[in-house]
Amino acid sequence: MARQPTTSYLDITGEHFRMNSEEVRKARTTHWYARTEWGIAVLTYEDSSFLLKHPQLTQGSAKWPAQHGVVGGRFDTWWQKTLLVLEGDEHNRIRRLVNPAFSARQIEPMHDRFRSLADELIDDWIDHGQTEFASGFAAPYATRILCMMLGIAEHDWKKIHELAATIGLGLGVTIKQNIASIDDAVVELTRYARSLVQSRRESPRNDVLSTLVATRDADAGKLSDEELVNLVILLIFAGIDTTRNQLALSIESFSKQPDQWEKLAADPDRYATKAVEEALRVNPIGRWISREAAETFQHRERTIEKGSTVHLFTLISATDPAEFGNPDRIDLEVERSPHFAFGGGIHHCLGHFVARADIGVALSAMATRITDLRIGEGAEWLPDSGNTGAVTLPITFAQRH
Amino acid sequence: MKIVVDQVKCQNHGLCAISAPANFALDTDGKLQYHESFNEENIDDIEDAVDSCPLQAITLSRDAA
Repeated sequence: MARQPTTSYLDITGEHFRMNSEEVRKARTTHWYARTEWGIAVLTYEDSSFLLKHPQLTQGSAKWPAQHGVVGGRFDTWWQKTLLVLEGDEHNRIRRLVNPAFSARQIEPMHDRFRSLADELIDDWIDHGQTEFASGFAAPYATRILCMMLGIAEHDWKKIHELAATIGLGLGVTIKQNIASIDDAVVELTRYARSLVQSRRESPRNDVLSTLVATRDADAGKLSDEELVNLVILLIFAGIDTTRNQLALSIESFSKQPDQWEKLAADPDRYATKAVEEALRVNPIGRWISREAAETFQHRERTIEKGSTVHLFTLISATDPAEFGNPDRIDLEVERSPHFAFGGGIHHCLGHFVARADIGVALSAMATRITDLRIGEGAEWLPDSGNTGAVTLPITFAQRH
Repeated sequence: MKIVVDQVKCQNHGLCAISAPANFALDTDGKLQYHESFNEENIDDIEDAVDSCPLQAITLSRDAA
């Protein structure tokens, strides 16, 4: 009989869990997976790549609220119908209809507007030599781009941002203690989304929302009102919080590697794309991706039982020394294997072309205008989860001349 | 015209199979299978598949017989 492998136990339930810790790295050297409170955590690149797209593993996040004792409220009801957790024909039908609105071709013409917005925000604080990056750049940038795309008046951005951030708490390990305000935010955004859909139906504009409404009206497999409203809430929630958080994480990573920041600054056209990929690889907002076994199956020596949860640890798989040379360092010159910060399989992030474009533009704008980038005192981070990021991120810098 | 998939770039995510199920499918091992040639009436779906590939691994080649 084969000897059972030694697997570590990782407590991922607490606020103090850090994926980028010695404990998790050590677990990765021991075995391809570790045990957790909510199913196994896959640690290696090879196994993550394989299991992320495994036909027997479905998107496992449907259970997330219930795992925290949150059942049947407004958030949970919305969550169970989002594209993110839907499976099978219902998922494929909606995804097929909405994919074209988020193609690289659709996003490309918006780059100049992204850059203007980035420069406008930087202008506000560049003379001070310091700013609080999360509120001084990341939040307004991510939110106003989303407003731009959906055709929401940009002056509403603060309200929209607050609602998105509140719903974002639904993906955090503190969901239970925040559920009342999360539920309220879903109610308010539902009302807002209804009015947006209604207004675009009456007078279409040149924005993503109008495209989605037109999809509904023209296509035989049209989106229902309910689907459109659910989708708009998802876009507001997923499109803002993720980008905002990833911007802060990217800045944190680059602050540790001034040589690579200078490289980006010297030739952003050449390095912006790689800068985004490397920041996402070493410091992704989604610390893990969840999957659930639709059937019992065998992977290596491990039987994965039907209904059990498999967590794919993104940061730790994307810094696996078995796959990447000098894995923890951002290196803008090296060709790397793809990371899984945007998830994978048919649930691959819908907005990844937008995120890649706007983060690339933001990092380019920042790098070309500021140097000597450092993280200041008092940075506060959300716990590691499916959506981590900075609550506050003070930065100091010198203006580049 | 024929469909060309860059097998090095392809990560078998399967979004092409959602956009154009007549031409792309994942097999039981989760590996991409596709037909190089296609019916002209499916061109819209195939262009959606090209656009939706996260790795941008699909192209349409005009050189094919």
